[in-house]
Amino acid sequence: MANSRILMVDDEVDLELLVRQRFRRRIRKGEFEFLFAHNGVEALETLENNPDIRLVLSDINMPEMDGLTLLSQLESANPEICAVIISAYGDMANIRTAMNRGAFDFVTKPIDFNDLQITIEKTLAHIEMIQQALASRDRLVSLKQELAVAKNVQESVLPAVPPPSEYYDLYAQMTPAREIGGDFYDYFRLDDHRLGLVIADVSGKGVPAALFTMVTRALLKSAARNHESPAYCLSEVNELLSQENDACMFVTLFYGVLDLRDGRLQFSNGGHNPPRIVRGGNGAIEAVPQTGNLALGIVPGHEFNQDEVQLDIGDALFFYTDGITEACNTTDDEFGEDRLDVQLGEKRHSAMGDLVDVVVKAVEDFAIGMEQFDDMTCLALRWNAVKPADAAPGTH
Amino acid sequence: MSDQTQLSVETEQHDKGVILCPSGRVDGTNAGTLEGVIRDQLEGGQSVLVFDFSGLNYISSAGLRVLLVAARDTQSRGGKSVFCGLSKQIAEVFAVSGFDKILAVHSSRDEALGAI
Repeated sequence: MANSRILMVDDEVDLELLVRQRFRRRIRKGEFEFLFAHNGVEALETLENNPDIRLVLSDINMPEMDGLTLLSQLESANPEICAVIISAYGDMANIRTAMNRGAFDFVTKPIDFNDLQITIEKTLAHIEMIQQALASRDRLVSLKQELAVAKNVQESVLPAVPPPSEYYDLYAQMTPAREIGGDFYDYFRLDDHRLGLVIADVSGKGVPAALFTMVTRALLKSAARNHESPAYCLSEVNELLSQENDACMFVTLFYGVLDLRDGRLQFSNGGHNPPRIVRGGNGAIEAVPQTGNLALGIVPGHEFNQDEVQLDIGDALFFYTDGITEACNTTDDEFGEDRLDVQLGEKRHSAMGDLVDVVVKAVEDFAIGMEQFDDMTCLALRWNAVKPADAAPGTH
Repeated sequence: MSDQTQLSVETEQHDKGVILCPSGRVDGTNAGTLEGVIRDQLEGGQSVLVFDFSGLNYISSAGLRVLLVAARDTQSRGGKSVFCGLSKQIAEVFAVSGFDKILAVHSSRDEALGAI
């Protein structure tokens, strides 16, 4: 048993000798350890000096401070203490008072040592159970705090709503699962006419995933500011993430650079679901070609490729994470690309915010009755107008 | 919620190594269970792991991470991890993420055992 220390409070000095004698075997084995006090005041002092004591056996009638007063003070001394009252046989009034003041149990005098032993064992077992429950509660509290931290991190890595632009319509949204995941999206202006667009999914959940997300976003942003080639940026981020990655975390990441002057999207894809291109004219939908690359953080030195696609005015790009396409319904079918494409085709002329809302709603309706297992993240962009090469710097 | 949301892992001893058969789904909520089974096998002295995914419906990125750990840890012990029985969906997850290039994926259990 974890804690076998017992404080016995009784003004009869003979009792100490008797208890030590009767429980000598248990004491020798370390199953019981007795401390003694002779009134309530002494008892409180002993408890203060021995804060690990959880079981108090107390007589009622004692000088200086009686057992019932002691009982009412125990709660403030340490609410985890269990008290067992020793009372005269048939003294129901005091026993009732003691129970009402929070005593766990009582034994009667003259003490029946077999009964006392059973009562001690039962009470110690109860204390043990309470200790375990409290420990679980503490773990739960710290887990909840950890999740709150992760959630903050997850939310803080998302960029602010983009300013409206006459050249494009951009909207992105993440619907987090109950457990914190590691999806993120990002967009940033690289210069007056080029936009960087990112979607990513970090392996795993919780604080580690949230931190990995934060690091990945910062590394990519810094690489993007220094290098034009998306493939070069992914190689650089991959190198840094693969170093000292003992936990084998990884991130699937798609990074594209859209030139608003000519509609060219250059991109590199590290193991992420290829975004979809929704042609504004005829509603045809195609996946961005694969660049055949591995998720980031796994193999140092992995060589990333890049490719490009050409957009026409009115074409839209739809970036998403697997929380969209792998959402399951109650018969275990996945939402899949086909259902996604139906929504994208129908809504291609809507505002991108509406298009994203419609897609997320369709997934939620499809997966009704199922818990959302994964974050659902979408980024949609439609190219609306050619930005003249000599457009005034600073215009969006 | 259906049983398919749960994960259970059966293990079979084979003279070439141990065969792990996870069934149901592996996601962020239970990837630790699979990781624990793998760790127990490694600590028990196994260094060859055969993953038979015939009973597996779904694996998330958290599950893929566990497979990477298994591949690395078996390799560092002089053994290896091989994979078979991938459903169409799981094969696609492997293909998109590039995992089919770094993990030894085989079309059947016999082929996987033959590759050890």
